[in-house]
Amino acid sequence: MTVVSAFLVPGTPLPLLRPDNPPWAPLVAGYQAAGEALRASNPDVLLVYSTQWIAVLDELWQTRAHLTGIHVDENWYEYGDLPFDMQSDVELAEACVAGCKEIGVSAKTVDYDGFPIDTGTIVMNNFLNGDDARPLAIAANNVYHDGETTARLAAMAVETAKAQGKTVALIAVGGLSGTIFRTEIDIAEDHIADATDEEWNREMLRLMESASIEHLKQRAGDYAKAAKVDMGFKHLSWILGGLGDNFDGATVHAYGPVYGSGAAVVEFRPA
Amino acid sequence: MADGEILAGFLAPHPPHLVYGENPPQNEPKSQGGWEQLRWAYERARKSLNDLKPDVLLVHSPHWITQLGHHFLGVPTLSGKSVDPIFPNLFRYDFKLDVDVELAEACCAAAADAGLVAKMMRNPRFRVDYGTITTLHMMRPQWDIPVVGLSANNSPYYLTTEEGLEEMDVLGRATRKAIEQTGRRAVLLASNTLCHYHFHEEPDPPEDMSREHPHDYAGYQWDMRMIDLMRRGETREVFRLLPQFIDEAFAEVKSGAFTWMFAAMGYPEIPGELHGYGTVIGTGNAVMEWNLAKAREVGRAA
Ligand SMILES: [Fe+2]
Repeated sequence: MTVVSAFLVPGTPLPLLRPDNPPWAPLVAGYQAAGEALRASNPDVLLVYSTQWIAVLDELWQTRAHLTGIHVDENWYEYGDLPFDMQSDVELAEACVAGCKEIGVSAKTVDYDGFPIDTGTIVMNNFLNGDDARPLAIAANNVYHDGETTARLAAMAVETAKAQGKTVALIAVGGLSGTIFRTEIDIAEDHIADATDEEWNREMLRLMESASIEHLKQRAGDYAKAAKVDMGFKHLSWILGGLGDNFDGATVHAYGPVYGSGAAVVEFRPA
Repeated sequence: MADGEILAGFLAPHPPHLVYGENPPQNEPKSQGGWEQLRWAYERARKSLNDLKPDVLLVHSPHWITQLGHHFLGVPTLSGKSVDPIFPNLFRYDFKLDVDVELAEACCAAAADAGLVAKMMRNPRFRVDYGTITTLHMMRPQWDIPVVGLSANNSPYYLTTEEGLEEMDVLGRATRKAIEQTGRRAVLLASNTLCHYHFHEEPDPPEDMSREHPHDYAGYQWDMRMIDLMRRGETREVFRLLPQFIDEAFAEVKSGAFTWMFAAMGYPEIPGELHGYGTVIGTGNAVMEWNLAKAREVGRAA
């Protein structure tokens, strides 16, 4: 089995920066539970797609061997800084660039000092990877790719890891419903901003839990539109593509609000 | 102190290719040139800016996107290496800029008074966005004039274009009030491209100008129609057409800088001076100036 674990996690920095805020504490606990599950699955590499790493021309793959620095989020800078220290699986990322070309997607490596690593990847790495420092292969979200292309990218990346004899934790970083509070709130009172969003989020999480894969895929498009889902919910396509549209069920470790939007930590059980 | 004024506004787009083509010492990648007509347009704009001798440059950039209100750089000095996330091969630039914090605070307070959510960015490790840096370099490579940096609230995308641009109008009027109250002689920079359809592959080398041309004819026609109206000072017509232009040409002015600038200037019906137009990876870019100081002088002489 190449994919030994799979996770859908939120990329917002707020739970990491304010773990004690009551509405966000469940997400922190959920992230911690997912981190334990990841460690138990003992992957060679984390295969990561983050909605917040935006690409426009090519599909980009991070190939800087060592990524370290202090990141400040452009929205939530007042809550604090995000230090990071990550290793890339350069061999796998480079092979994925070649693999992209084979499936007709133009792709490039990114290996630059000071390249802006996105908030979502950093938050995920802090929560899930922690001090283990397992290497990552990180793919960008090309805004012109649809869900189907994203799924093909993930499938190609898993195949590429398999060819290298590696096991992977498949990770998609992105949010759920996107309606946010547009004025300052008391963060201790945070809740999902829109009641319809709330219903949609819960329905989608139930479909994940019960592994109703066809139904999940059918509803994903409508959900993305109706609930303003982060980047059209392409991060789900990353998971489904990487799992070959096949999993045995999922555990929702946490679901909750972040400034009105929806966030969940979901662990999928590979079939 | 009072009697501040806006001396001029510039449409000053931010393709990093222009910095790359110029080869300034601050930028790590080196080129064989390219995009000369746009870079020479900026040369003319630089000269004009130099003659205006402003106290401060205010720049509104679509690449500092904020969700919760309109934000202002509020740290006296910001520095670092700016790497463009889309074109890291072209733009890795060492910058250091001084912020006019007093004016930024006045703008922030005026925006809040006008009913907007407004916030000061006080984190000294904040990474200034590449749109702001490119526009500032192209307008004033000496970096010797203090800056007020404004974020682009995502309202035109999150709400409707019209609702979003209404917010930018309010932000512009508030900005003007703050400039007047603080006695600054200010120049405004709207960091926006026009038609934003682009090619999806870069030539090798990127500065191979035999590959550079408008992405599509309809977008080019839209750009010329809008520029022609701006050159004739038909500001009202420009703003009547703006939502349709945004829709049909995918124009980056949707992010609000252009509306913010014109609202601050009071939508003057004066001819804009086109310093030059050119495409960058197919997108339409105009460097234009509305010189209010000159217009006031002409008005007084008449
Ligand atoms: Fe831009």
